Amino acid sequence: MDIAGALSVDHLKFLAHGFMVTLYIAFISILLSFIIGTLLGTLRYAKIPVVSKIMAVIVETIRNMPLLLIIFFTFFALPEVGLKLSVTVAAISALTVFESAMLAEIVRGGLNSIDKGQIEAARSSGLTYTQTLRYIVMPQALRRMVPPIVSQFISLLKDTSLCVIIALPEFMHNAQIIYAQNVNYIFPIFIVVAFMYFIVNYGLSLVARRLENKQV
Amino acid sequence: MFKSKTSKVGLIVFLAISMLLAACGKGDKATSGSGKNALDQIKKRGKIVIGVKYDTRLFGLKNPKTGEVEGFDIDISKELAKEILGDEKKVEFKEVTSKTRIPMLNNGDIDAIVATMTISEDRKKEVDFSDVYFDAGQSLLVKKGSPIKGLEDLKKGTKVLAVKGSTSAVNIREKAPEATILEYENYTEAFTALKSGQGDALTTDDSILYGMVDQDPNYQLVGGTFTEEPYGIAVKKGNKELVDALNKALKKIKESGKYDEIKNKWIKTN
Repeated sequence: MDIAGALSVDHLKFLAHGFMVTLYIAFISILLSFIIGTLLGTLRYAKIPVVSKIMAVIVETIRNMPLLLIIFFTFFALPEVGLKLSVTVAAISALTVFESAMLAEIVRGGLNSIDKGQIEAARSSGLTYTQTLRYIVMPQALRRMVPPIVSQFISLLKDTSLCVIIALPEFMHNAQIIYAQNVNYIFPIFIVVAFMYFIVNYGLSLVARRLENKQV
Repeated sequence: MFKSKTSKVGLIVFLAISMLLAACGKGDKATSGSGKNALDQIKKRGKIVIGVKYDTRLFGLKNPKTGEVEGFDIDISKELAKEILGDEKKVEFKEVTSKTRIPMLNNGDIDAIVATMTISEDRKKEVDFSDVYFDAGQSLLVKKGSPIKGLEDLKKGTKVLAVKGSTSAVNIREKAPEATILEYENYTEAFTALKSGQGDALTTDDSILYGMVDQDPNYQLVGGTFTEEPYGIAVKKGNKELVDALNKALKKIKESGKYDEIKNKWIKTN
C-alpha cells in the first residue's frame, strides 16, 4: 500500500475531473429521462386505448433488463444497424433509456397517489380530462414525486460507473487509470472513491429527506 | 375523434424520442462516410485519430499528472503521424480497450488501432492489418517461488487469469485445456487479482508481463513464450491506401533507427 503516492495532488485532481464527468453524465441523463419518463408515465396512467398498453410494454421491458445490457446495446449493437454513437452519447442514451422507464413508474405512482375523488370533482365541475390532469393532478403529484426522483438520481449517479465498460472517462475509470500506474495504489484509491460517492449521495439523500419532511 | 387525437400524441412522442436518438447519432466522428480512401481524408483533416490503450503499462498508459498517454504504442503513433502528415503533433489519441477497439474502428471513431493488437486470422476477417510493428509472445507470470514453472504445470484446478477479448485468453484454453481460466476486464485488474491470490498464474504477452514485473519484482515470468503474438496496426477493411502509407512509414521508422530507440526506451526484456 502506498498512501502518499496514491493520494498525490495530481491524482486527486484527475479523480475530481472524473467525478465531474460522472456528475455531468448523470445530470444530463436525469434531465432527459425526467422529460421522457414524465411523458411515458402520464401516457401509461391516462389509460388511453392502445397507447397506454404500448407504454406499459415499453416501460416493463426496459425496467426488467439490466442496465449493463442496455449500455452494451447502445455502444456495440446499435452501430450494427447504422446508428453510431460516441462513447459519451452511448452512455447518456443508455442511462436515459433505463432511467426513463424507472421515472415513468415513479410518475405513474405519483399520479396514482392522487385521490380519485379529486378527479371526479374536477370532471363534474366541467374540466376536461386533460385539464384535470394538468391543473389538478399533476401539480400535486409532481411534489410527491420529488423524493423518489432524488433517490433515483442517487442510483443513477452510482450506475454511471457501469459505463467504465465502454471506457467512458468517468470517476471509476479514472480511478482505474491511477491504480494502473502502480498496483500499490489500489487500496487508498478505492477508499477515496467510496468516500466521494458517499459524500455526494448522502448529501442528496439528506436533501430528499428534507423535501419529504416538508410535505408531511 | 378522441382516439385519433391520442394516437397522434403517441406518434409525436415516438417521433420526438427517435429524433433525439438520431440527433445524438451525429456525434463527432473521425471518419465521415464509408471510409472511401481514408488516407485522403486524414490528410485533408491534417490529423490522424488513433485508438490506444490508456491502462496498459509500457504500451499505452495515461499519466494523471500530465494528462498525456505514454508508452511504446504512443511513441510509434507519433512517429507514424510524423511520416504521414509531417508533424508528430498531428495525432489525436482516443482510448480503446480490447473490447471496444474494433467497434470503434468500424464506427469511424478512430482511423487506426495501435493498441497491443495481435494480428490473427479471425481478426483479419474484420479489419485490415499493417505489417508487424512489434513481436510479442505469450508467457506466464507467477509469484516468485510458485510451483508453476511452465505450461505443463497448468493442471486441473490451477486458476489462470487472462484478459477478456485478448488472443491470450483464446490461446491458453487450447494450450492448457485442464486449467480454469478467469477473465478480467483489463491487465491491471488481472494483475491485482493475481496479487490478491485469485489465481495461480497470469497469462498474456510477455511485453505486458514485463511491465508488471517492473511494478512488483516479487513476480516473474516462467516457461518462456509459447505463442507468437505479432502486433499490427489495424485499419478499417478495404483501406488499402492507408495500410500502404502505414507500412511505408513503419519501414522508414525502422530504417532510421527511431524504432529501436523507442523500443529500448520502453521494453526491457531482462
